[in-house]
This record gives sequence, C-alpha cells and structure tokens, in this order.
Amino acid sequence: MAPPAAALSSLSNALATVEQLSSSSSSIDGVAPDLEASIRFAGAQLTQAAGILLRLSQDIIAQAIVTFTRFWAGPEGGSLRIYSVKDVSAAALYMTAKLSFEPTSPRSVLNVYALLLSKEASPLWFVNPRRQDPTDKPAPAPETYYLSEGDYQTQRQVLFRIESVILRTLGFNTHVVLPHTVALTYLQTLGVSTPALANRVFEHLNAGLLSPQLLYLTHQPNALAVAAIYLAAREVNVKLVDSEWWEVFDVDREQLGFLVVGMKSMEGFARAEKVKWETRTVPLVVEDVDAEIERRRMMEEGG
Amino acid sequence: MSLERASNGHSRFHGCCSIREFEFLGKLGEGTFGEVYRAKAKKDNSIVALKKILMHNEKDGFPITALREIKLLKLLSHPNILQLKEMAVERGKGEGRKKPTMYMVFPYMEHDLSGLLENPIVHLTEPQIKCYMLQLLEGLRYLHGNCILHRDMKAANLLINNQGILQIADFGLARPYDEPPPQRGKGGGEAKRDYTTLVVTRWYRPPELLLQLRRYTTAIDMWGVGCVFGEMFKGKPILAGNSDLNQAQLIFNLVGTPTEENMPGWTSLPGCEGVKNFGQKPGNLSGVFNELNSTAVSLLGELLRLDWRKRINAMDALRHPYFSTPPLPARPGELPRFDDSHELDRKRFRGQRAAMPPAPAGGSVGIANGEWSTNSGATALADYRQSRIPGAARTASSLGHAIREISSRQGSENRFSNEAHLVRERQELEERNESLKSRHRESGLPPKPPPPIHQPWGLGSSGRLDYDERHERSSQTRLDNRWEGNIDSYVPKYNSMGDHSRDKEDEQSHLRMSRYERKAENPRQMAGRDYHRDHASRRRSRSPHHQEGNRTAAYRR
Repeated sequence: MAPPAAALSSLSNALATVEQLSSSSSSIDGVAPDLEASIRFAGAQLTQAAGILLRLSQDIIAQAIVTFTRFWAGPEGGSLRIYSVKDVSAAALYMTAKLSFEPTSPRSVLNVYALLLSKEASPLWFVNPRRQDPTDKPAPAPETYYLSEGDYQTQRQVLFRIESVILRTLGFNTHVVLPHTVALTYLQTLGVSTPALANRVFEHLNAGLLSPQLLYLTHQPNALAVAAIYLAAREVNVKLVDSEWWEVFDVDREQLGFLVVGMKSMEGFARAEKVKWETRTVPLVVEDVDAEIERRRMMEEGG
Repeated sequence: MSLERASNGHSRFHGCCSIREFEFLGKLGEGTFGEVYRAKAKKDNSIVALKKILMHNEKDGFPITALREIKLLKLLSHPNILQLKEMAVERGKGEGRKKPTMYMVFPYMEHDLSGLLENPIVHLTEPQIKCYMLQLLEGLRYLHGNCILHRDMKAANLLINNQGILQIADFGLARPYDEPPPQRGKGGGEAKRDYTTLVVTRWYRPPELLLQLRRYTTAIDMWGVGCVFGEMFKGKPILAGNSDLNQAQLIFNLVGTPTEENMPGWTSLPGCEGVKNFGQKPGNLSGVFNELNSTAVSLLGELLRLDWRKRINAMDALRHPYFSTPPLPARPGELPRFDDSHELDRKRFRGQRAAMPPAPAGGSVGIANGEWSTNSGATALADYRQSRIPGAARTASSLGHAIREISSRQGSENRFSNEAHLVRERQELEERNESLKSRHRESGLPPKPPPPIHQPWGLGSSGRLDYDERHERSSQTRLDNRWEGNIDSYVPKYNSMGDHSRDKEDEQSHLRMSRYERKAENPRQMAGRDYHRDHASRRRSRSPHHQEGNRTAAYRR
C-alpha cells in the first residue's frame, strides 16, 4: 500500500491520459485543433481576468484555470460546440472560489463577466479588438456592460447548470495542486530565492496555465516548478549548482526539457494569437464557434 | 485501489459513471438528508450503497458541503475510512430538461456501531472491542497524520461490515487542519488558529469544546474515541447529556471537575453557556467502569482526559498496553457475523414481535426543552421561532446518518428523532403490520442530542452555513468581545464585492423558501438566520475585514 502522504495525493494532480490528450470532444465535433487552442487560450485568459476583477487570489484563479482546461480534455470532455467557453470559465471560477476560503457570489461573477464580454467595454483584446488603445477614447457607457435583472436570473441558472456539468464531466475531481509553493521551497533549497528570480518563476508558472500544450494536465507540480526555476534562472542570470539538481526533485532530464521548451514557447504563441485575431473576436459562445467553423468551410471551398 | 487511480497509481480524472451501471436492489433509508439505496454494480457485481445528493436549494449552485465532502473523500484512501468509490449520474428521463441527479457510491456496509450496540443479542467481547478500537485508531491516525479533523466522531458514524472491518464515515463536518500533525507522546499539540466550536454531536463533544475553546486540536476526535470505547462496554452512550451544560456536568461527574492541574487554562475559556463554576468533584471513572480491567480503564482515562494537550493521540493509543495484554485483540475475520439491520431485511423477521420504541423520556430533542442553546442570545430568538416550526428539531447529520440508516434504520433513526418523527415512524410501522426486529431496543435511551450545527447537505446551502457561522461569531463576540477575521473561514462568506440590495432579497427569499423546504430545522440555525437577516447591513460593512482574514487563511494553506 502506498504511504499515507502519497495516498492523500496532496502534492500531486490528476493528469490527463494519453487518450485524453490525443483527441478531444471538440475535435470530434469538427473544431480544428488551432481553433480549439485559440478558444481555450482566450477562455483561460478570460478566467484570469475575471479572477483579478473579483479580487480572488492567484491561488484560486490558477486552480480554476486548471479545472477549466481539464473540462475540455479528451473525448469524454466538454465540446466547444455544446458548451460556451464563457460559461465554463465563469462556472469553474465560481466553483473554485466556493470551495476555497474566498467564496464569491453568483452576482459578482456574472457582473464581472458581463463587463469582460462586452464588445464595447471589455478590456480584453480577444473580445474587444478596437479597445486596444483606450487613451483617446471616451470611457464606455455603463449601458454596454450592464447586467439586467432578467439577464442575471437567466445567467445564474446557466452558471449553476454548467457548474454541475463540470463536476459531472470531471467526476467531481476538483482537487488541483499548484506548483507555486513547491517552487518557492525548491528555490530556498537551492539557496537562490531572490525576489527577482522568484518573480520570474511565478511568471512562467502563471503563463504555463495558458499553454496550448496543457502543461498542467500533463505534468505534476514538482516538474512544473523545476522547469520554471531552470528557465527563470537562465533568464535572470542566476547560477544554479552544476550537478543535475532536478533529479533531487524527482524530475528527469527528458521531462525538464519538454517543459522548458513548452514554457519558453508561450510568449511566441501568445504573440501569434494576438496577430491571428487582430481584427476579429475569438468565439466564446457556441453560436460563434459554429459561425467560425462555417466561415472557415466557406473560405476553403471558395479558396 | 480506487477507480480514480490508473494502474500506475497516479490519479486521473474522468467523468461520472452512469446510474445504469447499477442495478437497484431497494431503498435503504430516507430522511431529510436524502435517499440511500442498495444496489449492485454491474461491472463487478459488488454491492454498493448509493446516496442521492439532494439539490433543494440552488441559491449557491451545487451544495458546498457535498462538494467539500466529496473532495475530501476522494483524497482519502485507507482501509478504515469509508471509501467514496465514485460518483454516478442519473440523467433526467423523457422530455423536458430535467436536471440530472448525482449519487455518491460507497461500498455497502452492513452495520454501524451504534446500531450494533443496540442489538440486544450482540455482546461485544473484549477481543472484539480491541479489534474495533484498533481499526478506529488506525483510521484516525491516518486522518490526523494527514491533517484532517473529523469533527463528528460517534458510534453512529463508524460503519462495520460482516468481515469485521470498521470504517469511519461522514466527512460532512471534516476540514483540513492547519497545524502540524500529532507527534508521538505529545497528544494533539497546540492549535494556532481558531475553528468553529459548533461541531461534534453533543454526547461525543469534548469538554474544551463545551467550554468554547476555539483553538482546538485533533484531540477533539480522540475524546469521541473515548466515548465510543466506553459505549462498547456499556452498550449505550456513556455521556448522554440533554443540554450542553448538562453534558459538561456529566463529563465532570465522570472524570472530575476541571482544575488548573487537570485542565490548565480552562478558567480563561468562555465557559459553557456562561457557566464557569462546576464545583469540585473528584470523578469516578474506575467506579463507573468497575467491570473493566486496569489497562482498559487506563486507556479510557487517557482518552477522556480533560486536558486536551495531554489527551492521548491516535498513534500513542495504538501502542497502549491495553492492546498487547491478554485477551489479545481479535482479528477482523474472526468476528462473528450479524444480520443486516436495515429495513429491507425486516421481512425476514416477520412475525417476530418486538417492543415498540417508547417515546423518548425527555420529550423531543432540542426545541421543546430549549436545550439547543450553547450561545447566549440564541434563546429568545429560538423561542420566537418555536411557534413557527412544526415538528422542529429533527436534524440529520449527513453521510453518517445516511449510511447509518443503511445498517440500522430503526435503532439509530429513532434515537435521532424527535417525538413527532417517532410518532410518524411508529404509524408507518404499524400500518405495515411489521414488527421491528427483536434487537430493536430503545428503552432507557435518552433522546438523541442535536448533531452539530453545521448541517451538511441535504439540509441546505452554503448560505445557510454562512448564517450559522455569522451568528456564531456574533455570539462569540458578545462572549469575549473579540472579533477576528481569521476565525474558521472554512465556512463560506461572500465578500461584499458586487453585492447590492438584490442579494439581500435573494437571501430573504432563500430564507422563506428554506422554511418550507426543510422539514426539520435545528432551532439554533433558525435563530442564527434571523440574526443574520437583521444584521445584514452590518455584516456588509465588515466584509473587507473578513476578506482580509480569509486571504491570510488561504495563503497559509
């Protein structure tokens, strides 16, 4: 029998199986892989932004993004043609906050999403591409992001319904362990815990949440922490011990290499996404996903 | 090996299984907490208990207490902890978009300890008692070693199957513990933060909780073990107080009144219902348990120690000489088998007449006697409530209650009931012209104490807990004039962001609704809710402070 600590799995996450990584419900439903990646990326950022506006701690926001990401994985997961990304994002955040020490009310959540999804008022580039230079524009009228009482009532029901769907889809596996605290411990162990380095480590860990390679679904927290430290140390020119120190933290060279490449590629991926969707909005509801797929089909046929 | 784990031992996530993978064998129990069914899993023919999760009040979506319990149970894996095998979903049938129903799937356990002890033909031998105690302590050592407080230790929450395996159930009140796990020879250690004192069913509630210690430790569960240990010898709960104050008095009669020697620091605790003077009595543990040998009394004394810092912890108790002196503990497989005691099996006993359960001598639990109040200020409101809650105080603890009903419906059920419920159940029984099983023995048992205040799901939403907690805090404030942000933030509190009048209305409509929805209420909860409503605006103005406290807690985790 496994020792209690391991059995309690307080330091490890449920990971996606090979099958869950090789195919998704969305791809079965005809969503192209690049489109799926774009939508998931936007959805994760939407969750992050909403969490900040709700003044939730990054701990909770990050857990919500992992739950959000898990939801779409695998042929048994959620499909972008059945569930709207915006709803899953809101429900994941609401549910994670509810389970935490910082619960937030449905109304707060829905108010925040009303703002973030407003085509006129949203500060998000993938929702409101025109508002990227807000300096010379007047502030958006409150009407453009006002949540009416009727909408609130309707959307609250949607929120609860999707919450149940997420729980069901994940088999109630709401447990998410983050690598952040482990990373700090490792930095101390390595004797290099400077604020600059720790900061860069966290940046990589938080960016990794948005990775199209689903790093948080493929690797345990200790591996994510080690990779972030490895990469960050190089970037801020902190010298680590010469030996293969990652072995101490149960990470092998192959894992480390994969993760470092994955984390390093995030910046390029994010830039490319911004260019790709420069003039259009990323579809965050089922109807828009359908329309985008239809648009692509027409382009292909016409092209 | 849990279904949540892949062959390499790593956990994985996947959806719920369908309820169609189970063949229903019949209903095991029903109550305010929901319904429990016995079923056969088609994939491996194993017998399981299916517990339906009620979705009464949807103000906050999926019930937070259920969510927490499921999350915790999924992390636990130990032979002496009831295992949540998986979650099953039943999709709405037919047209319309009926919401799917969720079930928790547990292995089927034939008994609970409470029901077993009520069976007059069951007399536990000392080797049996030692066997069950070892298993209980192993389970608790695992829980405490992993920094989890159970907070509802009692015989009814200990399930036993016919293989002699004992498992701890009902994690509806459990929570992570923010201190280091107990160390050998150091009892439960010290806690550095506050937790809510409204936990643990009264008869099993330790003296420090009755005296309102908020920085309690894993030692609170060990007190419950002591109560269960004694109960196994006596065949009935050993400290059956009819109020919190009475509970404290019974305890002090048994083990002596608190002094600075046997319970250092007790005078600085708020006290029990404001009472801080309990006279001077020496206690009479060895007299009351004169049938026990000296090592048994020694262990009992270690478990029922007033000083929570010195109360023995699970790992030390496992090494107590009691378990290594003859008669040695039986092995689980050697224990005798007993017939299942849930209502399905009653048919087999048809024609076998047994005494009907008499109404509890003390009248109904809770409201009629005004016994619920531990906190000052609640009583007036509760009196006001009294006229408005028909058949009030039947409360149910969550999972334990559910599963307990599986194993011994009649016994425990009645013990938990109030008069009204008893009458109803008796009528039911008479109508069916079925006798209770001969084992059913109710005589002499006082009414069941109200279970802890934080009622898990089946009874309600986090909002409701919210009210209790708030009420509790306010009472606490009155008691000791302090208000800390960092009290037990395990119970959700909304921050004030985005709240406006509508939320208040929501809360009020929720109050109205819940009155109808809940057949039975714990009066303290009702009182707490009203308090909350009256002071909603005040709460809001405090919110930032709360949030700050909560944040600290979250970071500390």
